Amino acid sequence: MFKDLDPILHSQLRLAVMSLLISVKEAEFTFLKEKTNATAGNLSVQIQKLKEAGYIEVIKQFKDNYPQTICKITPAGIKAFEEYVKNLQTYLTQSK
Amino acid sequence: MEQEKKLTEQESLHLITMMINKAKESYHDKGIGAIMWGAVIAICSLVRLSEVQFDYRLPFDIYLLTLVAIIPQIFISIKEKRERKVTSYDDAYLDYIWLGFGITIFLLILISNNIFGEWGSWANEYKNITGKQAPFRFNEYVGPLFLMLYGLPTFITGAACKFKPMLWGGIFCWICCIVAIYTSIKIDLLLTAVSAILAWLVPGVIMEKEYRLYKKEQAQLNV
Repeated sequence: MFKDLDPILHSQLRLAVMSLLISVKEAEFTFLKEKTNATAGNLSVQIQKLKEAGYIEVIKQFKDNYPQTICKITPAGIKAFEEYVKNLQTYLTQSK
Repeated sequence: MEQEKKLTEQESLHLITMMINKAKESYHDKGIGAIMWGAVIAICSLVRLSEVQFDYRLPFDIYLLTLVAIIPQIFISIKEKRERKVTSYDDAYLDYIWLGFGITIFLLILISNNIFGEWGSWANEYKNITGKQAPFRFNEYVGPLFLMLYGLPTFITGAACKFKPMLWGGIFCWICCIVAIYTSIKIDLLLTAVSAILAWLVPGVIMEKEYRLYKKEQAQLNV
């Protein structure tokens, strides 16, 4: 039985951000931008969506008088990501 | 990258793998701390060895250099933390392991100095009564204790970062620790210097080279 893939995660940029954040403790916005090659505007919107879903935590602070945004995956985000990968594997196994 | 592009299952899996690999590629230690500590410990051990060998004393304790080295280490740590755009789980744990190592070394120095104080007066008394050197020399065992500790964070760092020069460096410290139990102070000091070079200085130089190469590749990719 196929389970629907989480629509929040089943989108290119959001999945890329979550895949990066699952591998690290925390990452700066600039790191995510550099690794995903996304524009700052696009990335901000997708980060906001992930934040609203409770999948990531966004910390805004100042470093050397410049604003700094740090993103961290939450326990709910880890659970959703693991569930997403599990469902993905089910799809791929069934379709073989 | 387009924000709302829908993916096939295969594409999703490929993207996840690619991003996890990209995140892994980002951890690059400059190796400056390892180079500095490797050099400092090797210099201290070799200078002390020359003092014992040629029977002279510097006007200050050469090991004070390790205290002086804490100052640049603080600056290096602050700078590296500031430049760090991403913190891996390994980074976070390893920071604590090295901090714990520093505290343990400090405590070991404190304990050793106390034992030296007590043992010194006892050894003098023994010499006065018997006219012979005390049969037990505590300082013969200080080197192995330090080598044992040097191996621990080095081995863990090498294993966690999958960085073989440090992993083998840690193992080398422990081998030297075993050897140093049975050797004289002069050999202990030599083993300590070689351990510091192989466990920290050489891996640090390799790390620094790899970091430069990584930066060069990144610069070429961004052109």
